Amino acid sequence: MFLTKPFFWIPLLLAGGAVAASAPLRLFNPPLQTGALSVLLSVTVAISIYLFAVMVQPEKF
Amino acid sequence: MKSLQQPFFSRMPRGRRDQRGNNERPQIQGLLGRAIVESFRKLDPRITVRNPVMFVVWCGTVVTLIATVSPELFGISPDAPGRGFNAELAAILVATLLFANLAEALAEGRGKAQADALRRTQARTQARRLLPDGGEALVDSSSLRKGDQVLVGSGELIPADGEVVDGVAAVDESAITGESAPVLKEAGSDVASSVTGGTLVVSDQLTIRITADPGQGFIDRMIALVEGAERTRTPNEIALTVLLAVLTQVFLIAVATLPPVAAYIGGPTPVVILVALLVALIPTTIGGLLSAIGIAGMDRVAQFNVIATSGRAVEACGDINTLVLDKTGTITLGNRLAEEFLPVGGHSEDDLAAVALGASGFDQTPEGKSIVRLAEKLGVSSRFEQAGASGLDFSARTRMSGTDLADGTELRKGAVDAIKGFVRSRGGQVPDGLDQAFEQVSRLGGTPLAVSQGAEIYGVIYLKDIIKPGMRERFDQLRRMGIRSVMLTGDNPITAGVIAREAGVDDFIAEATPEDKIAVIQAEQRLGKLVAMTGDGTNDAPALAQANVGVAMNSGTQAAKEAANMVDLDSDPTKLIDIVTIGKQLLITRGALTTFSIANDVAKYFAILPALFGGVGLGALNLMHLQSPHSAILSAMVFNALIIPALVPLALKGVKFRPDSAEQLLKRNLLVYGLGGLVVPFVGIKAIDLVINSLHLV
Repeated sequence: MFLTKPFFWIPLLLAGGAVAASAPLRLFNPPLQTGALSVLLSVTVAISIYLFAVMVQPEKF
Repeated sequence: MKSLQQPFFSRMPRGRRDQRGNNERPQIQGLLGRAIVESFRKLDPRITVRNPVMFVVWCGTVVTLIATVSPELFGISPDAPGRGFNAELAAILVATLLFANLAEALAEGRGKAQADALRRTQARTQARRLLPDGGEALVDSSSLRKGDQVLVGSGELIPADGEVVDGVAAVDESAITGESAPVLKEAGSDVASSVTGGTLVVSDQLTIRITADPGQGFIDRMIALVEGAERTRTPNEIALTVLLAVLTQVFLIAVATLPPVAAYIGGPTPVVILVALLVALIPTTIGGLLSAIGIAGMDRVAQFNVIATSGRAVEACGDINTLVLDKTGTITLGNRLAEEFLPVGGHSEDDLAAVALGASGFDQTPEGKSIVRLAEKLGVSSRFEQAGASGLDFSARTRMSGTDLADGTELRKGAVDAIKGFVRSRGGQVPDGLDQAFEQVSRLGGTPLAVSQGAEIYGVIYLKDIIKPGMRERFDQLRRMGIRSVMLTGDNPITAGVIAREAGVDDFIAEATPEDKIAVIQAEQRLGKLVAMTGDGTNDAPALAQANVGVAMNSGTQAAKEAANMVDLDSDPTKLIDIVTIGKQLLITRGALTTFSIANDVAKYFAILPALFGGVGLGALNLMHLQSPHSAILSAMVFNALIIPALVPLALKGVKFRPDSAEQLLKRNLLVYGLGGLVVPFVGIKAIDLVINSLHLV
């Protein structure tokens, strides 16, 4: 079942995160920059969560 | 019986398996091709996610590819000239990932090649199984089970692992050891009765009791190990992974905070440039080579014909503080030979030789046989009726062996104090001159064996011990590396002291029992030290399990092999010193490449930061005078990618090891790999920049 695969829902979460982040960013930035910053922010948060998971349970990686 | 006349036990294969003249090289043809295919397969994010540094590079590559296909997603106009640049950057990042995967695939491929070579020895064969009625049945080797008995004659393959229960034969073990000189296998010996499936009987016939079910044999377990099926990360590797994750996190946050800062000071920060900066800053070199270094460490141990049960065991070798070594076979040549008879109590040399000959009638050890040979050389023949006699095996408890004759006469030979106690228990006296003979032999570094008949001591046999050549130098090396050596021997303290002094070991324990081995190991471990030891007998198994690194001899018993975390296929106890060196080399290689990886970040700052912020006053940082911001970024990224394959040979081979103290090694590595890591990228990035501009790639 592809619905249970992390590589199905991780991009969805990233896209959702980017959409959520774009709302406040739009108040202070032009539209093109808002998109870039929101994608950057959501990717950074996702990678940070992954890296913290590695730090906490390195033997699982 | 011609082949039996060869010097079976004089062989001692040394060095790497692939450098032995009579050895079939493992199949490494096509290794690079398979590794290249494997490196593409490892681009799968489910595999890359196990390596935090390279997974961040993978994410950066995806972002750069998206920015190439759809630049507007990152605030870049589709018509902007950056699209080609993004594609170039994406290609370099893919190459970085492939190079890192290639390093790991090459290291794994060498293990798989060795596994394939081992698998070829597992060809199914027919076996002659013994039936309960004494008959034979021809069966397939895969149908044999533990406890079955088989007959294996000259020219036949041994169908499965087992113990010799009858017969004496020469066995060619080159399939597993790489050494073609046959070894003698015989029933009743603790270390020469174990046989491995797939090896070839080259003379005579053996009756073998099977000790492993199909798929559970020694070669099966070796294949699983060298293929890396049981590879788990070592503690050192885990610690380094955490460090790399922390560094990556720090640089990720630093890079992610740049856009607002850049917006404030007025410099544009395209996402792909931020990705390039992040990839340049995180330790990709060590991230890409880390697992290859670990796998190559196990492979190097395998090249020395030692099978390690885990990378943890190999790595533990590098931290070893104390080596516990048996004297016989490790420090001295295995076979002590009778050199002289020293009679006491008014007996003649012939009388002593005759009693010694009688006491050795059932002794099949090399020492026992040498006593018989020396007595026969003196022209002495047996004076005792052997019919109805029974033999008494040597044990670590009684420290004597001998023969009980049918008329009740007890012939004994053994440690002097053990024989003294035996004679006294029979109402006898200890003759004058015995202690003098004992000291005389001991001071020569030999082993004195007292000989008695009934309650009377006849004298002492001088068993000559020969220290292996080069042992003193090897112990000197170990001392310089901060490793303490302890020799264990059943010999008396005088003999042990002489041998220890001549060999150059740091400490010795004389008259040691099997329990002493565990006691020594536990005492050292209580002091926080890591201990390595070798062993081959069943009585060594508890100590092998207790030691941090236990190396069992392949010729040893099944119990010893199962308790140890390494098995030496050549059954050479001296190799423990080589294994410790390989463990040290593994740790030093990892440290050296980590130092290099972190040091070469500096040059990348001076390439990418001026490219990013040249317009707001950081142009002065362009120390390398790189032609343009884009060429600076591409040059740094190309260097970042190319340095990985450039260091693969070093990662697989290991840095050159010198037996020095930890401080000296640290100083040397900081100088070579720290300073080298600072200087090489400046030169490399500048050279790549010149090439890129001369080819008009930007």
